Amino acid sequence: MEHTSTLERVLRGIALSLIVLFFMFPLFWIFLMSFQTNETILRIPPSLFFEPTLGNYKALITGKLDTAAGSLDIAFMKNLWNSVLLSTSAVVLSLILGVPAAYAFARHKFRGSEDIAFTLLSFRFAPPLLVLLPLTIYFQQLGLADTYVGLIWVYQLICLPLILWIVRGYFEDISADVEYAYRIAGHGWFATFRKIALPLAGPGIAAAGLLAFIFAWNNFVFALVLASADKQPVTVAALAFVTASGIQYGQIAAGIVLSITPTLAIALYAQRYLVEGLSLGAVKG
Amino acid sequence: MAGATAAPSNAPRKKGGLHISRSALPYVLSLPALLVCIGILIPFVTAVWYSLQRYRLSQPWAQKFNWGQNYLDFLYDSSFWNTLQISLTYAGLTVGIELVFGLSIALLLQKRSTLNNFVSIMLLMPLMTAPALAALMWKLMTNPGFGILSYFASLIGLEDFRWASSPSTALFTVVLVDIWVYTPFIMILLLAGLRSLPTQPFEAAALDGVPRLQQFFRITLPMLLPYILTATLFRLLDSIQQFDIIYAMTQGGPGDRLTVFQVEAYLDFFQSTNIGRSAALLMILWAITFFLSNIFIKNWLRLRERARGTA
Amino acid sequence: MYEKEKDLARALARRSISRRELIDRVGKAGLSASAAYYFMGRAGTEAMAQDFDWKQHAGKSVKLLLNKHPYADAMIANIQAFKDLTGMDVTYDVFPEDVYFDKVTAALSSGSSEYDAFMTGAYMTWTYGPAGWAVDLAEFINDPAKTAPNWNWDDFLPGLRASTAWDGVPGSELGSGDAKQWCIPWGFELNNISYNRVMFEKAGLATPNNMSELMEVAAKAQADLGGPYGIGVRGSRSWATIHPGFLSGYANFDQKDLVMQDGVLKAAMNTDVSKSFHKDWVKMIQDSGPRDWSTYTWYQVGTDLGAGASAMIFDADILGYFMNGGDNAEAGNLGYAAFAANPEASAPTPNVWIWSLAMSTYAKDKDAAWTFMQWASSQEHALFGAREMDFVNPVRQSVWDDEAFTNRIKSNYPGYVEQFQASAPGSKIYFTPQPLFFDLTTEWASMLQQMVANEVPVDEGLDQLAESVDRQLKDAGLG
Repeated sequence: MEHTSTLERVLRGIALSLIVLFFMFPLFWIFLMSFQTNETILRIPPSLFFEPTLGNYKALITGKLDTAAGSLDIAFMKNLWNSVLLSTSAVVLSLILGVPAAYAFARHKFRGSEDIAFTLLSFRFAPPLLVLLPLTIYFQQLGLADTYVGLIWVYQLICLPLILWIVRGYFEDISADVEYAYRIAGHGWFATFRKIALPLAGPGIAAAGLLAFIFAWNNFVFALVLASADKQPVTVAALAFVTASGIQYGQIAAGIVLSITPTLAIALYAQRYLVEGLSLGAVKG
Repeated sequence: MAGATAAPSNAPRKKGGLHISRSALPYVLSLPALLVCIGILIPFVTAVWYSLQRYRLSQPWAQKFNWGQNYLDFLYDSSFWNTLQISLTYAGLTVGIELVFGLSIALLLQKRSTLNNFVSIMLLMPLMTAPALAALMWKLMTNPGFGILSYFASLIGLEDFRWASSPSTALFTVVLVDIWVYTPFIMILLLAGLRSLPTQPFEAAALDGVPRLQQFFRITLPMLLPYILTATLFRLLDSIQQFDIIYAMTQGGPGDRLTVFQVEAYLDFFQSTNIGRSAALLMILWAITFFLSNIFIKNWLRLRERARGTA
Repeated sequence: MYEKEKDLARALARRSISRRELIDRVGKAGLSASAAYYFMGRAGTEAMAQDFDWKQHAGKSVKLLLNKHPYADAMIANIQAFKDLTGMDVTYDVFPEDVYFDKVTAALSSGSSEYDAFMTGAYMTWTYGPAGWAVDLAEFINDPAKTAPNWNWDDFLPGLRASTAWDGVPGSELGSGDAKQWCIPWGFELNNISYNRVMFEKAGLATPNNMSELMEVAAKAQADLGGPYGIGVRGSRSWATIHPGFLSGYANFDQKDLVMQDGVLKAAMNTDVSKSFHKDWVKMIQDSGPRDWSTYTWYQVGTDLGAGASAMIFDADILGYFMNGGDNAEAGNLGYAAFAANPEASAPTPNVWIWSLAMSTYAKDKDAAWTFMQWASSQEHALFGAREMDFVNPVRQSVWDDEAFTNRIKSNYPGYVEQFQASAPGSKIYFTPQPLFFDLTTEWASMLQQMVANEVPVDEGLDQLAESVDRQLKDAGLG
């Protein structure tokens, strides 16, 4: 099996390079673009050589955009903060709700457990707009419209099923024997859950949490429909760099770079957990 | 550990519950999660109710229950059949190509080596990019004035390649973006599957001198099949509901070329304010996804059983 | 501490000095320009404060839903003047235009009391009005206890007042019968030609006077200039593609979207004249339009003109106006011309877009909301915006009579005032008011896209469109 010819190795190398090029090039190009002014971006033909400017980032971070129509306030950093707040809170809530439920499904085969579990997972696959549109009206009546609480609740639609199913798989993979032994030694149910089950399922919980965070971060349509401008996440805010006096391409690019940096950083830092999460806990990494 | 945060908040209630009833415990544990989701069920029922009404916001006086007329109307509505066809085509194309592409990459990266691991981490990056932002990126790259891809296209003689703005290439363009974002998902899943396959059958086949191509079709593919099915169904469910990429790139145009379910329903709701039609469209989409997700979940459970059996 | 600035600003308000003079003096005296701007707004409001109790809602707060637009910018720049005048507070949400109207629909359809007033256009009120989301403003306008005597409703251009009022009967004339005033005009745009003077000079081109000349000039500009394309028009799959240049040219041939026949509405876009106009329009885009025309919105059309990527546009005059300033590569190079597509027509017939202010039915305090709307549409704010900011085109006659404003425009925007005056008399909304406006125009735009892509012949496409529109009108009980 290990006898690979030189030709095969070369072909393999070329294929891999092309693949990396295809997947990395767009990010690279946008990254370059974020350091350019509109003037150099609009040059034909495009060129790799330009004098880099930090102006786009400066405008985003200080919130002052100088355009033809005068100075304009942009709240991009606020949007970034919204994304952090919404995604983090949604995932934390999902973990609080989902991990005990996942444990219950894994350890106790109770009446209707499969049906309930199935129902919860099928939420992951309902068309989001179907629920979202009537929800605008209920949120209004409940006073949840345009609140972080309301948004975090809706985000459960993305996070909860994911966490529930991945974590359940992890609990099922852990032998229950250790827990029984611990119980027999006279420890209570809760102590067993906390001291034995949780630490053992740790990697699975981390994987599920990270994945849920990324899905929440990347969501676009929930906040667009349900929240006012001051609660919009970065995915919606990146649309906002078109002004009546022209499209600020450099700022769009810088906005994209800033909005995907957190998820990319997570991907690089915690890739092992992510890969496990993405494999839906179906296999051990 | 992330899970540790879960413990304290549950502590007070659980302490008492433990002694009361063992059989109630699982219900108590899963109840909060269920309640949150039931809150989401209520709007769902409302949507069903909307879909059975003649309901246009601009003609509130004409709102009435119309016995599923919205659904019957679809039978004669060419734009509905167009929507159905486009959605299925889009889902079929994206998932099909991503599967072949993802499997090929996974096979290339199968061997555990520093380089392969590094590459697979790099390939995670598009998946971490929000689809709405990815669409925006590709829109910039395909701009006919300064877009780098338009420039490349002109270098290879495609002076007039119009990407998402021409009906003949719009589908190609959005599918390309989808492939860019989601191929890594299938790749990662299949890579995990490949690496977990037992080695004995391959060693035996190598001893017998079975050609590698045959090994792939006779051993690898059948053993990988559950993973492939899982990945396919998961992607299919997402892809048939695509909204972000298509809406951000063309809003369903040019013409009616890309009016997939959720885009059409969104426009029906927000622009035409025809709530009845919008809800009925989404209900049909829901029926399709419910059917698919049933198959998916059953298949996935079987896969889990198997994974545990061989582990 | 700002006494000097204050005095100067007051002098400006009395028109005893001009704005330029003021800026000059501010500079010489080493005073702060921002303070001077602030007091300019203030001075205007001081003049307003007579004869009306502006403070009657002091302490209250109003929340607005705004589109990201120079009009909103001008209002925000002057907002302190409102706060000082009324003692009220104002907060606002600004959304980019891509999602703005969806946001308004989401807020209003859910009965949200979040926003008291919002920016809108007349077409939208054809939904909002019947749906019961917008308040008929006539009751405020006609109530002296609520409206200041010098607010002067009659100062608004009459065509605009009519265009923003509708009696809710599909197909009836705007502003007729017992029409309800669904919104107050705020700023508006006509559709004419904005062109790059430098390019036109270089290629030896004159501004076109009818549709066939427009096609020729666009084609010649594209051929001779080698780089820029001939003409920018919108093309996205949206109502926004139909209403600017396209409908203005279409209306010039006396063509209608719908006609009233035996008391019901019928599609009228498949007449012979309409078909020949569509053929010209489609050919013009195919020959000299932007390559990715079908994604073009207001922003792309404008950006290209400002960056020198197009030789001219047939779109909103103010879009050409905005592109002539700021950091646009072609700033200062643009010119303006009125345009009548029909060689037989006596004058241009621009379809107008009117950014307006409307009040939400769910507003928590309608009188307070009206106080804000009144100020925002007042002569004083209009003058501030027109002189100092890009709050054009003004909707008030008195602003067009203001020399400080017209002189500023004349010196920086050659031909702008002339194109405005030539086409203003024929300008109005040329659409038939009816609740299916967005269904109809989206489908129309989608059909245009298919025609430009040669997917369907123009004749056949228009017959299909008319048939489909008729069916939808019938379904909705209108046809």
